[in-house]
This record gives sequence, C-alpha cells and structure tokens, in this order.
Amino acid sequence: MNLILKKDQLNHLLNAWRQDYEVYAPQSLENFTHFLPLQDGFELAFDKAHNTRIPPKALFLPTSEALLKFTRFGGYEQVPSETAPRLIFGIRPCDAHAVTMLDTVFEQERYMDPHWVARRDAAVLIGLGCHVPCQTGFCTTVGSGPFNHAGLDAILTDLGEIFLVETLTEKGERLFTQLEIATEEQSTQASEGQQAAAASMPIAFETEWLKEKLDQNFVSPYWEEVSRSCLGCGVCTFLCPTCFCFDIVDEAQRGERVRNWDTCMFRTYSLEASGHNPRPSRVERTRQRLSHKYSYWVDQINQIGCTGCGRCVRYCPVGLDIRAMLRKAHQLPSEVAHAQ
Amino acid sequence: MLDLDALMAEAKRVLDEGVVEMVIGFKAGDTPLHPQPAFFTSSEEIDQLAYNALCQNNLATYLTRFPKTQKIGMLVRGCENRSVNALVFEGQHPREGLYLIGIPCEGIIDWRKIVEQTGEEVISVVEQSDNTMLVEARSGYFTLEKHSLLHESCARCIHPNPISADIVIGDLLPEGDPALAREQVAAFADLPVEERHAWFRQEAERCIRCYACREACPMCYCEECFVDHISPRWTESGTTPAGMQGWHIVRAFHQTGRCTSCGACERACPMDIKMTYLTEKLNDDMRRKYNFEVGLDAETPTPFSTVTLDDKSRFVV
Repeated sequence: MNLILKKDQLNHLLNAWRQDYEVYAPQSLENFTHFLPLQDGFELAFDKAHNTRIPPKALFLPTSEALLKFTRFGGYEQVPSETAPRLIFGIRPCDAHAVTMLDTVFEQERYMDPHWVARRDAAVLIGLGCHVPCQTGFCTTVGSGPFNHAGLDAILTDLGEIFLVETLTEKGERLFTQLEIATEEQSTQASEGQQAAAASMPIAFETEWLKEKLDQNFVSPYWEEVSRSCLGCGVCTFLCPTCFCFDIVDEAQRGERVRNWDTCMFRTYSLEASGHNPRPSRVERTRQRLSHKYSYWVDQINQIGCTGCGRCVRYCPVGLDIRAMLRKAHQLPSEVAHAQ
Repeated sequence: MLDLDALMAEAKRVLDEGVVEMVIGFKAGDTPLHPQPAFFTSSEEIDQLAYNALCQNNLATYLTRFPKTQKIGMLVRGCENRSVNALVFEGQHPREGLYLIGIPCEGIIDWRKIVEQTGEEVISVVEQSDNTMLVEARSGYFTLEKHSLLHESCARCIHPNPISADIVIGDLLPEGDPALAREQVAAFADLPVEERHAWFRQEAERCIRCYACREACPMCYCEECFVDHISPRWTESGTTPAGMQGWHIVRAFHQTGRCTSCGACERACPMDIKMTYLTEKLNDDMRRKYNFEVGLDAETPTPFSTVTLDDKSRFVV
C-alpha cells in the first residue's frame, strides 16, 4: 500500500520508532556520512552524500567481533548474539540488495551464522530510493536499480515536500500505520520518477558474456594490465557492500576468538602455512576480486555479486574504476561469444 | 602550471633513446577527481600522459615493485624525489638505474576539499592558469582557489622542488617556510596530554585497517608488515582500540627519519584519518635533535640506521 509521509513529520516518526528500536540513519562523521544510532537532537545527513562511506553491511558483520571468550586454563563461552531490535532508516537500494546477497552466504542450511541471523532477524530496513542516482553508481547495469526492493521492508520515494512510502513486508507495514494513503496521482508521480531515475543511468559496461570472458581468460595479460597501479590495499573490498570475507584470530592475551574483516586483496589472505601463496601478486588478487563478483557469484546464486553502489570507484586511492576494468574485459576474446 | 608538452617530449626521448625501459607517471582517470598512476613503456603510450594538481599519489611507492636491474624513469615532485633518495639510500634501487624527470610542485589538491564545496557529484575539473580550478558539478559550476584546496602536507611543504632530478621541467619554486611546517607540530604538542590522547584516539579508532596508508607510502615496503606477523604477535589484529592504536603508533614510529612528509597516507585513507601529525612530530624531532632531514641526498645515513661502538646508549652494542 502506498502512503504519504510529510517531510516535516519525519523526525517525529523517527523519534517514535526510537521507543521500540535502536534507529540507525546516515549522519555526519568527519567529512563523510555513516550509519549511526540516533541520539536526542540528531541531524540526518542525506543531503551531504548519497551513500555512507562504510556500507551498512557493517551493522550485520562488524569490522571486528568476538565470537567466543576463553581462559588460559580451559573453558570457553560463546558470546551471545545481538538481538536488540534495530531499524535501519535511509538505506539505499544497492546496499539493501547487497545484504540479501550476504544472506545467501551466512544463512545456508548447513552453515547458519548465529550472529548474522540474529542481527538480520532483529532488523527492519527502510530504504530511500535514489531519485537522482549518483554518478559513480551503476546499479541498473548489474541487475539492481535505484528503487530496487530487494531486502527492504519499505521504500521511500522523494516527492519534494513529501515521501511516498511503499510498504513491502508486514514488518514494514506495522511501522507506518498512522499515515494517510497516497492518492493515485501521487503514486503515479512516484512511479514515473522511479522509472525516470533508472532510465537516466547509462549502461556502464556490457554484462552479456562477461562471466564467460572472465572465465576463459583466467590466464591473460589483461589481469596484469588492470592491476598494474593497484596498491593492494583493502579500500575497494572493505567499502564494498557485498564483500564479506573474514579472518578468525585467537587473541590469546584478551582470551577472545575474534572475527575480523579480511580481503582477497591482502597478501596474507591466501598465504599458506608452508609459505606458499597461490595468489602471489596483485595480478592474481585482482583477478580473484573481479572474478568472484562477476563469475563465481553467478555460478553460486545466479546473480552478479555487485550491486553497483560505486564506492570502490569513488574511493580507490589510485582511481581504479571497476567499470572501466570490465569494459576492457568485454574486449577479451571468448569462444562462447564467437560461437553465437 | 606545468609545461606538459615539455614533460611528454622528455618522457618520449628517454624511452626512444633507451635511457629507460619504462616511465612511471600519471594518466587521466576514469573519474574526474582521480588521475591514475600509469606505467609507460613506449613513446606512443606517452600520448596518454597527463598531469594536474589532483595527481595525489607518491609514485615512489611503485619503485620497490620492479627489479633493481630495470632502468626506470619516474616523474618526481619534491616529495617523490626525496622518497626516491631515501629508497636509494636503503638499497631499494640503484640511483644509476633511475632517470628522474623533476617537476617543481605547486601542491597536490585534496579532492575531499573540492567535494566539500561542490557536493560529491563532480562532472569535470579543469586546472586553470590563474591558480584556480574550474569544477563542473551536478550542483553547478564552481571556480575554486587552488591554494584553498591544497592537502595540508602540501600547504606546509618545505621542499617543493625536485632535489636531485636528472632534468627539471619548469622553473624552480621558492622553498617553503619551515616555521609554517612546525605550526601543526607545535599546535599538537602544546595541547594538554589528555587532549592529545583524545585526539589520537579519535583519529586512530576510526580505522578499518584496510592499510591504504601503508600501501600508499613509498617507505612501507616490508615484505611482511609487523601487523601481518603471527608469531610473535606485535599488535592486536582487529578494530579494537588497542589494535587500531597499535597500528597507528607503530606505523608512525617505523617512519622515524624516513618520512618525507608527502601526505600520501592521509590522501589514501578512506576514513579521512589524520596521520601526519604523528610523522611530522617525528620529522621535527629528527630536525632538531639530529639536524637531519630525509631524502635531501641519497648518501647521508638516517640517524636511526647508524650504529657506532661508542654509542652512549649501551643497549645497541
């Protein structure tokens, strides 16, 4: 059902939600925005930036978290999962879509991650669609979109003085019981705006046969070419909403087994105990990053493992642009493409 | 402004004449705020060479990736030249295997400062001859004073000129004011200890441990960084306060007498963490206690890399 939320009522509503939830929304932190819990007198920072610097995946998979605590002389106890209800307000569709992809990693039948599941079950996601999509974003190219519904309990469309609210789940419906129903005109205006936003986004690169091209060019000078200026830092992967790799470390001194973000772009990620490293240079590591997103995810869940948020493009310290890398990949020879 | 044609002509010449096998420089980026480091191996490729004040990386960070036998040409500004000297001193590449094309540097622009004024949707940036940047953003057109956009490290730069380049393209610039460079160090040192600690914690504890600062730094070339070392463990692994503080303080200390104040660490940081207030303090100590500044030549040993038998601290021998 479509509802109307007047912008001047937003803070009132957020405060009302704070009675039942810890409400997270983008707020200013240094020169960027970050999903922080709302405190009294909060100020939202939607005008400052399209996307938060750190994707909201961090709310479900923190940069570091203790999994269990142990003592030197035997015995350990599991760290209980967080189950306090949280409402994530203003999450962009690309980031919410990414969370649903991570569900396929952390919520598999045989491997349920209790911390992830608990945080996900306790969360409500209210999206804010992108009526003016950002320039580095390419969501429509990779099968998402500026008003994609995946992962969201409700989505807001900016119509100037008001937001049009589309509730998408029961969880979402329960949050907006007091609002008036949108007129047909308003609904039409919103849906036209949504379509116009998606249509305004150019196709960043061709995705047809992309997987095949990457697979068939596993050994190719292409990888050296696109990774030459890569510094080998973790910016692209840590800021990526679909990257989820972690490392489990025993911090013996504090008696904690912790899970930290890790990335295939680090040398130590694939370093084996023997000293052998199957991905010895940035060339192989770049191949892993791109192939995982554009080939291996496709094998596993039949979706490209990227939602086009554009953070890796915006914040790469050497200006590497995954869109340009993939345009180049599409020039690679492929048997399948030729056979068609 | 830089005479790009002269720079390109020299880069072509050294490639054509076989003086070097490769020239490390910059090319236009795929996005307007981020020109990219580029590696040119033929004079035809030099047509892609580009340069403007947004070229934010210290190219010397790439030097240790290549065999010491390779003849490498590199575009160097003041800080890059000093980083190269420091690397040559540390045995990372022989000076005779390098051809340094120097550019007197008017300072690197911090793209964040552009975005602060124009909004993040920047469409194009043009460096103009009157020391301004013309920025086209979604929010409109902006003419911004270049000087107001400089990264802090560049605003207080002492040595903007390449100090030992094989050729310098353009006229040398006046040296910076060391007193200005000291201001930041003094301002921090004058704070009460609690405030210094609070500042340090506020900066360090925003860290996500992506190590962009390390990778952007020419002097961080260890095959195995102390944070990657498992046994013994030097610091906590995660983003706990101890882990983040440990990383930032030890990273800074490893730069003692080695940091050329280029600021590439801060410019690479995705969390906008200030780091140079630590390294600048160490640089200042080096200047005052040992009358030493790194990279002014490639021969003078750094104070902490010299050991003599009559050292008054007995712990070394």
